[in-house]
Amino acid sequence: MTVDEIRELINLACETGIAELEVQRGENRVRIRRAGFAAQQEIVVAQQSYPAAMAPAAPAPAAAEPPQEPKSADTNLVLVKSPIVGTFYEGPSPGAPPFVRVGERVQPGKVLCIIESMKLMNEIEAETAGIVESKFVMNGQPVEYGEALFGVRAV
Amino acid sequence: MPLDIVRIRAAFPGRRIDYYRSIDSTMRAAAGLETGAVVLAGEQTAGQGRLGRAWHSEAGAGVYCSIVLKPAPLLTLALGLAARSAILDASGLTCDLRWPNDLMLADKKVGGILVQAADGHAIAGIGINVDQTAFPPEIASEATSLRLQWGRPPGLPSSTDILLALLPAIDRFLHRDPASILRLFAEASSYASGRRVTVRQPDGAIEGTTAGLDLSGFLIVRKDDGTDTLVLAGGVRASGS
Repeated sequence: MTVDEIRELINLACETGIAELEVQRGENRVRIRRAGFAAQQEIVVAQQSYPAAMAPAAPAPAAAEPPQEPKSADTNLVLVKSPIVGTFYEGPSPGAPPFVRVGERVQPGKVLCIIESMKLMNEIEAETAGIVESKFVMNGQPVEYGEALFGVRAV
Repeated sequence: MPLDIVRIRAAFPGRRIDYYRSIDSTMRAAAGLETGAVVLAGEQTAGQGRLGRAWHSEAGAGVYCSIVLKPAPLLTLALGLAARSAILDASGLTCDLRWPNDLMLADKKVGGILVQAADGHAIAGIGINVDQTAFPPEIASEATSLRLQWGRPPGLPSSTDILLALLPAIDRFLHRDPASILRLFAEASSYASGRRVTVRQPDGAIEGTTAGLDLSGFLIVRKDDGTDTLVLAGGVRASGS
């Protein structure tokens, strides 16, 4: 895919006013997500290497707006990130109470959520002791590799 | 028919194979065991399905098994292919694979696979309906067994026969490279492309036609408006079912 083609896609996204556009051509995938009036582009070249359990080769479909943005400069806030692309579940089954609520104190090893990828259920555990200060994704939402799920205030 | 655990253990010397005549869940029993360990049960009183659903586990009627594995690329697709291969070898019946790994005969589910990953291990739970002649009303329209599909009672493979084929098949398929797993899945599954499906997701259902898998093994569903959606989890059903 050429730069001109990508530019054309950005123009198309801006002209039509759509929030997000994803195009795959061969091994190249381009996703353009509009934030306000600024267009942002992300290019992921699909790879055959598979770090960890699953490949982060494919970006997740359009996600709902997260409840709030992760804080980046706060050194005491530990971000729990998704190790894979998948679907976020806050509890063990639909209708069940969530594994953890904002404001709750957690210890290392406490299960915080499940990320499902192709019927592989990954339990995501707290790695540090602290208080869950933020939850950045909603139940059932697709998440990407490395996407922040929780903010845990280390204590 | 009860499992012939002596025969199974003899076929895999040196491998840890725990057997319970009755247990709540083989998944629970397998947690914390070493890689390669196998947990088998004659029946499960609380067999686990996806997202907290139950897995019907009638005594002596099926394969109820959990295996501790190392996480691997495309693991759940490989497990579906392995189970399909084992059923074919033991019974001659060819299952369809409903993405990612439901084992289907005559558009009904004959087996299911769930993987739970934690602490660097992946525990694969495999349930295969072998000898059931009927199912509870709530799942009767979508479940079947090898016996119900076999049509020739003499010679029906036992759960032991299936397991003897299943464990080596899993080892074989887990050693395949991702590209060949994707290719084999595309060959084995009528759901891989061109199939009209409904995908149940937490925020509602989408409908479209399957358009292959991406390189990570996610299912591409092309909606009628021409846009593609990548299905990350499960919940794929043939439209109209």
